Amino acid sequence: MGKIKDILSPFTAWGNVVKEPVTIKKPIGREAAPRYRGFHKNDIDTCIGCGTCEVICENEAIDLVPVDGIETKDGDSGLRPMIDYGRCCWCALCVDVCTTGSLTLSNEYTWVSEDPDEFRFIPGVDKKSWDDNEKGWKKPEPNYEFYGKKRVEMPELHAEDRDKSFIEFVTGYSKQQAEEEADRCVECGICTATCPAHMGIPEYIKAIRNDDLEEGLRILYETNPLPEICGRICTHKCEDVCSVGHNGDPISIRWLKRYIADQNPSEKYKEILNAENIENNGKKVAIIGSGPSGLSAAYYLALTGYECTIFEKLPEAGGMMRYGIPEYRLPYDQIDKDINYILSLGVDIKYNVNIGTDITLDKLKKDYDAVFAGTGLHLGRSTRIPGSDHENVYFATDLLREISLGNEIHVSEKIVVIGGGNVAMDITRSLARLQNNKFGKVNVTATSLESEDIMPADREEVVEAREEKAIIDPGWGPTSIEIENGKIKGLHVQKCLSVFDESGRFNPKFDESNTKFFEADMIVESIGQGMDVEYISEEIREQIEFDQRGRIQVNDYFQTGAKWLFIGGDIIQGPDVIHGIANGHKAAIGIDKFINQNG
Amino acid sequence: MKDLLERLNTKYNLTDIKYQRDNLVFLTIGKENTIDLVTHLRDYEGFTHFVLLSCVDWIEEGKFQLTYFLNQPERKYDIAIRTMIDRDNAEMVSAHHLWRQITTYQRELREMYGINFPGSPGVDENFILEGWDDIPPMRREFDTKQYSEDTFFPREGRKTHDPASYMKEKLYPTEPTTDKVNKTDE
Amino acid sequence: MNNLFNWEPDRSKYPTVKDNGELDVDLSSHKFTKLWVGPNHPGITGNMAVEITISGDEIVQAKTHVGYLHRGFEKLIERRLFIQGFPTCIRMCVAEPDYNEYILSKSIEDLSGIEIPEMAEWLRTLALEMARLQSLLRTVPGQGGTFSLGLGVQWGMYLRDLISDRFEELTGARIYHMYILPGGVRGLLPDGFKARMEENLKLIDQFVINIKKLMFDNVIFKKRAIGVGVIKKEWVDQFGIVGPNARAVGISRDIRKDYPYLKYQELDFEPPIAKNGDIFARSTVRYQELIQTVDLIRQIMAKMPEKGDIKSPTPNVLHWKIAKGETYIRSESSRGEYGMYYVTDGSDKPRRINLRGPSYNHAMSLLEHMLINANISDVHAIMVSLQTCPPEIER
Ligand SMILES: Cc1cc2nc3c(=O)[nH]c(=O)nc-3n(C[C@H](O)[C@H](O)[C@H](O)COP(=O)(O)OP(=O)(O)OC[C@H]3O[C@@H](n4cnc5c(N)ncnc54)[C@H](O)[C@@H]3O)c2cc1C
Ligand code: SF4
Ligand code: SF4
Repeated sequence: MGKIKDILSPFTAWGNVVKEPVTIKKPIGREAAPRYRGFHKNDIDTCIGCGTCEVICENEAIDLVPVDGIETKDGDSGLRPMIDYGRCCWCALCVDVCTTGSLTLSNEYTWVSEDPDEFRFIPGVDKKSWDDNEKGWKKPEPNYEFYGKKRVEMPELHAEDRDKSFIEFVTGYSKQQAEEEADRCVECGICTATCPAHMGIPEYIKAIRNDDLEEGLRILYETNPLPEICGRICTHKCEDVCSVGHNGDPISIRWLKRYIADQNPSEKYKEILNAENIENNGKKVAIIGSGPSGLSAAYYLALTGYECTIFEKLPEAGGMMRYGIPEYRLPYDQIDKDINYILSLGVDIKYNVNIGTDITLDKLKKDYDAVFAGTGLHLGRSTRIPGSDHENVYFATDLLREISLGNEIHVSEKIVVIGGGNVAMDITRSLARLQNNKFGKVNVTATSLESEDIMPADREEVVEAREEKAIIDPGWGPTSIEIENGKIKGLHVQKCLSVFDESGRFNPKFDESNTKFFEADMIVESIGQGMDVEYISEEIREQIEFDQRGRIQVNDYFQTGAKWLFIGGDIIQGPDVIHGIANGHKAAIGIDKFINQNG
Repeated sequence: MKDLLERLNTKYNLTDIKYQRDNLVFLTIGKENTIDLVTHLRDYEGFTHFVLLSCVDWIEEGKFQLTYFLNQPERKYDIAIRTMIDRDNAEMVSAHHLWRQITTYQRELREMYGINFPGSPGVDENFILEGWDDIPPMRREFDTKQYSEDTFFPREGRKTHDPASYMKEKLYPTEPTTDKVNKTDE
Repeated sequence: MNNLFNWEPDRSKYPTVKDNGELDVDLSSHKFTKLWVGPNHPGITGNMAVEITISGDEIVQAKTHVGYLHRGFEKLIERRLFIQGFPTCIRMCVAEPDYNEYILSKSIEDLSGIEIPEMAEWLRTLALEMARLQSLLRTVPGQGGTFSLGLGVQWGMYLRDLISDRFEELTGARIYHMYILPGGVRGLLPDGFKARMEENLKLIDQFVINIKKLMFDNVIFKKRAIGVGVIKKEWVDQFGIVGPNARAVGISRDIRKDYPYLKYQELDFEPPIAKNGDIFARSTVRYQELIQTVDLIRQIMAKMPEKGDIKSPTPNVLHWKIAKGETYIRSESSRGEYGMYYVTDGSDKPRRINLRGPSYNHAMSLLEHMLINANISDVHAIMVSLQTCPPEIER
């Protein structure tokens, strides 16, 4: 009978009386699961204080705070995240987004304290019992990303399509590619400090995301009046510190800059940059040299209303950008685009005028309210090894200048380049192209003191040179050039063991028993350049300070001891374009202050 | 679904028709005909399951969007009917007579957005916000963060730093003090 | 004796009906008493109150009050990036947080055209069924609890805790799992997970037998649950009744079947239904569902691949923007249709999110209606039999 069963069956529960209870005897001390999201841990030496964790926290539980003993330096803000557990909900979004992977959660959850303020601490700095606990939440692996880790590849011409000609081989991002690349940026701004010109990098990348390229251009010009140029050949130190680069490819900051400049037509620059009505202030500044430092000084001075005149020794403007950097990396029309805009603001330029011989510096001092000199490093340095005075031994910069001027240069079938920097790569790759055109094959070898891992040239330059069939054979010190019957036969080298001594000074050591001979009928030296400041007369020199190594000393505004004379660019700092630009900008501010205080 | 829309189109002026999925369509109709369409769908097209009534605040356009979300359980498809009403003195014809739960929805919209549904039972009674004296809080202009800052006290001693500006301050303060510039001594 | 049990109040005498159709409930007449059930009643998972007016021990008027735990999540999510929504939305229904995570993430994916990897689909299905299991482990014996049969609740709570252990090792948290996020999920099964889950499921198999003896083959339970708290078939449409509450009157509606999502099409199951629409019918449906959920979890674990991607690429979450659009995503929670209306406006934050939870209808208009004429001792039983979740009403 159903009824009877319904009365009896509940009593079966009494069976439990004789069973073992299932209650956990000691609930406190129970370890949480390996993935548990407990209190934070931070590997403080890996963290770079980028603040991305702070941005993603939906509860505003994180503050970035300075920490004693952690220095603010390139690539590290010196700040570290402090967590307020009054707000944290243990979602671990901060862990999943952390750019360096330093931040994790422990599986500790039972910690208590009577002092509420203790629940606000800097993980990794304020020591906690769980700091060495391996368990706890980590960013899930693999293929679990909150932003793109891989760079959008820059389209390039294939080696076969580029190794005969000087046409630009990097073709530039399309809109979609640029926006995709810009999307990867986490906007931490760590890069800005490292950029010599302190460009507003996250801001212009954001402008790309918003497809507001005019705004992008305005941001570029705030700190850099040569964006087409820098967008192609900048040494991009910013990318070395990019926080996204800690776990993936750094953002292609340089290519994004180029994208903005490329997309804005020159006719619209004045309107976009709001430079249509600049009021002349009646003051005059002379600028010697039309390299990046001179151009940058001229631009910022012209914007403030100064009447600027540039004096340039060569027939065209741009300095090393035009006469050093090869055309396949930096086409002349792009140099012109940047420079013409600067000239369009009323900057005057006098070509083929050599200060020192055609006009003296003293005359400039008299005729102008101030002078800026950015004359660069143009004297080639020689190895001075036996045979280096042969007529078929050249300086790289001389050859590059001749190529740019459109003059024919001597090219022979077997060439050796001495040097491992970017200039050496430039001349090697230029010569490879010329050989290819002339002989239908390439036979150029570049050799440097530095071994492959410490070669100063950019990695991609070495790779691309090899793609273009040049031989790069680093780690050798040249000893002599063999000459037979007045003709070069080749270069003797010995193995270089180390370049710098313990204290970091240049002091190469060699293994004399390990030698090699590079056959060649032409040799190019590319081991650095020196300055030529003959135009500064004795009298002025006396007012200027030099250090023991003969380098000119300037203050923060690039002002020399001769107060009206400001000097910047390669002579002072660098050597690269962006330092020149930054110097020129600072000098312009300094000149403005100087003239205003003077008058 | 397509033929249903064709049928409706002959009777009603429907705009902004968007198929979000094969079985989910969003469309807009004028305020006057909304309840008529809802009733029609319920009584003649088998949309017997009322899913929800919601409001979207398009403050920039000065409009509230009311969304009546209806489901046809037999055919398994959904129609979301949008209607735009003015934000100022927002008012809409009540639909409480069609489904019982609409009373609750209308009460909530009255409280959270300030939309009136004259005749809807208990529409003016507090629903969730007993003792609320600010503007209806789901309106876009109501700033939750501001409200909490004004109402509660912040935790003492919290201060954060923006990495980029902190680095600037530490590594390259913009204006090196003017006395570092050599003064002209002439 | 018989007379005493079958006594019915004579409602023709009082309360009288006024001309306008309203009941004439005059408290000063001493014929009526006002009582508050709640807001801190343990019978439901959160705070809610029912204001009842009784005459004798019969209810003549009932009114649901909420507002004890409004956290404004919809508004908060409107002001947060798309990625920041899923840790914020979970508390909209505390008992089954995974459904919030799922419908929110799926809405974002739907509006931005993101497909998630196969593995993630399986893991989501698993998490959702585990959530259902946890819910039912409390609700099924909980119905007994409303008739003072607390023992089954203890059993269920223990088993529920074991499932929390499984959630903990899978998701990193016991209650607020934050496991399903836009683009996928946040982790594969840990080593040995399936074996440990199977051990737990075996215990639940035994629990299912025990609870039947304790509750469903129990004369007191039957006496109090059969014929009490009846939902009529026509109310289903009128009140927007969904889930087990609808299935218990013979209307087979289940989102998993009607609008298949995730991996439900690959699973073999038929939603249980019952006819009578009373508390007993709803309990039985949930009891059958508990058994079915155990089976579904076994099916999922057997069918899911061992390895695979857990997340699809998304735009950088820090500046993810979604074009103007709107969608509605539904799922079948243990209480029925649990959906989200999601509107975007082209910015990096949603314009509007609106949760459509079953309790919004069940505990408000339906409960108020059902309580009329009910006996005061049945109030809790009716409330619990609707499986109300107050946090989901006011969000
Ligand atoms: C081959 C090569 C490749 C390089 N590649 C890169 C690169 O990829 N990226 C990068 O960032 N940098 C590169 N650099 C370095 C960069 O070009 C220089 O750092 C930069 O141009 C220096 O700028 P500047 O303003 O100091 O002077 P320069 O560019 O050297 O310009 C000085 C100008 O002053 C003129 N001048 C000199 N003396 C006088 C005078 N007495 N009267 C009138 N005019 C005078 C010169 O004719 C010249 O035009 C490269 C350099 C070389 C040589
Ligand atoms: S995201 Fe990571 S690296 Fe950046 S500040 Fe936070 S913890 Fe440090
Ligand atoms: S765990 Fe979540 S709430 Fe806590 S600090 Fe990290 S992001 Fe913020």
